[in-house]
Amino acid sequence: MRRRSAFVRLTRRTKALLRRALLPVWNALRLVLGPVDRVLQPLANGYNRSLGRHFGEMTGLQFGILALGFGGIATVPFWSPLFPDMSLNSTLALAAIWAIFAMSWDIQSGYTGYISFGHSVLSGAAAYTIGLLLLHHDPSMGPALTIPLGVLAALVMGLVIAVPALRLRGPYFSLITLVGVLLFTNLVFAFSEWTQGELGINRPIDPFTYEPWLRYYYMVIPMFLIAIGLTYVARSNVGMVLVAIRENETAVSDAGLDPTKFKVSSFVLSSIPMGIGGSLLVYFRGGPVSPSNVVELQNSIEMIAIAVVGGMGSIVGPLFGAFLLFFLEEELLREFFEESSIRTLVLWLLVLGVLVFARNGVFRVLWHGLGAVGGDEE
Amino acid sequence: MSLLEIEELTRSFGGLVAVDNLSFEVEEGEIVGLIGPNGSGKTTVFNCVMGTYAVTSGRVRFDGEDVTDGDTHEVVNLGLARVSQESNPIDAFPVAGNIKLFALPNSFLLCAMPDSILARLTDDEGPGVREHAERVGLGDKLETTPDSLAHADVRRLEIAKALATEPEMLLLDEPFAGMNQEEIRELSEQIEGFRDAGMTMIVVDHNMRGLMQLVDRVIVIASGQKLAEGPPAEIVEDDAVQEAYLAGEQGGI
Repeated sequence: MRRRSAFVRLTRRTKALLRRALLPVWNALRLVLGPVDRVLQPLANGYNRSLGRHFGEMTGLQFGILALGFGGIATVPFWSPLFPDMSLNSTLALAAIWAIFAMSWDIQSGYTGYISFGHSVLSGAAAYTIGLLLLHHDPSMGPALTIPLGVLAALVMGLVIAVPALRLRGPYFSLITLVGVLLFTNLVFAFSEWTQGELGINRPIDPFTYEPWLRYYYMVIPMFLIAIGLTYVARSNVGMVLVAIRENETAVSDAGLDPTKFKVSSFVLSSIPMGIGGSLLVYFRGGPVSPSNVVELQNSIEMIAIAVVGGMGSIVGPLFGAFLLFFLEEELLREFFEESSIRTLVLWLLVLGVLVFARNGVFRVLWHGLGAVGGDEE
Repeated sequence: MSLLEIEELTRSFGGLVAVDNLSFEVEEGEIVGLIGPNGSGKTTVFNCVMGTYAVTSGRVRFDGEDVTDGDTHEVVNLGLARVSQESNPIDAFPVAGNIKLFALPNSFLLCAMPDSILARLTDDEGPGVREHAERVGLGDKLETTPDSLAHADVRRLEIAKALATEPEMLLLDEPFAGMNQEEIRELSEQIEGFRDAGMTMIVVDHNMRGLMQLVDRVIVIASGQKLAEGPPAEIVEDDAVQEAYLAGEQGGI
């Protein structure tokens, strides 16, 4: 037998220990949740018969939790006044934008396995396009004009990166995306008299509305539409080919499918919602379009962290991952640590924990757990 | 015009010449056996034809078209399919998904369409996933994942995948490896069925026992060079062939 490293043995033992310790809890949960599952089953069946064909079938409890999650996100402004200490409307609006980023990253990197470390370049292209247009061209341009141009810029940027980078197999793609971020950041600095450098383009940008609850919906509705669109693509034959590229690229070639074409297409497809997210971020923040706000590497890494915590290769996982992480970072952990950097440290430890113990993401664990309640075994 | 023409094909790896100035042709509807001792370059020939390896020199033509420098997916879309020696299924998909992947069109937009619209757009009247699975006897295992299939079934899946690309010509690399007598007999019958349906084939094997009944013509290669070519009955009698096999410690063909 192959000897395993001490670390692998340790994590396995910890996992086994956790599983044993949690078994009674699991059994108790099943006792409670079993009837709930059966009650919700007819609702889920209704869904399975209609939309299930396109978006996947589910059990009663899975349907329940998904409805609760989406319902909760859709009604934030209605229940946020119950927590007067928190600024949930704006925190979760920002989470919606990052959900768009994480889902866009997921359809490309999570599905094909070609990990992009530079997705913030795409949202950055959209944000800077809007910023530069307002600064140099016409400050009175409205979002109806700037956002389509921003998305177009993201799309062009996507092509510029994808076509040369995705012809290569293996780690070179990741390295090129990484260099892409550094290039973009340095370009902003190099042409600082034009881009206003590190401080960013700091001219007041009118948000869509000054009404906080309405502003929330300006972010969440596009997010839902993007989630539906990307889930549809992921569930279609395209998603199948992308997963096949991740699992076995040789088999894809043998099937008469051009892996490069599908990889480039998924990257370009992903750059469209990235552009939308980048544009929303500009109008949500209302100010400065700066490297640290929209381009720098940190932004790309945070998208990956959200997708990993939520569950790579699932679209909906990264969506909930964004809301979970933003709630933790901006609200819950702030209660304990306030502004100290321990807050972000705790967050990154959580990401590490998910990578080690639940590589498929916390929501996949939850999802399969709930799916198993009605079944025979764990 | 022959369906497949291989002309002075050479492929070397550093100083080692794996395929050495090899030429042969395959006519439409023919089953050709390509045999030779282990390491004689049989699989390398397939790899060069399929675009897995770049050739060092020489040309490969399929159906009149030069495919020497073609990518694998281009060669496949011209109507050539290969069943590799190593099974290569995707364990994340069940049998049906593995076959379906091979039936998909090489277009991002078409793949994004629902199956019903896709079928109408591509005017696809051909056999579906189920039919391909049934042709190799996997009709009742559509929802099984490859990692829980028996070895012979995994091999059958490989053939079903190749069939799903709707090829004119099939390259079979050691299709009988690891199978028992019963399974070999069954697979031989299926291969004969493909011939009756008009499929052209090259079957690679390192011994001729299983191929005698099956093939119309045999090409023997050793050290990448053609040693002999002819009907199976003649080849068994050929002295040069006997010698190559004894030297290769294969203990006769």
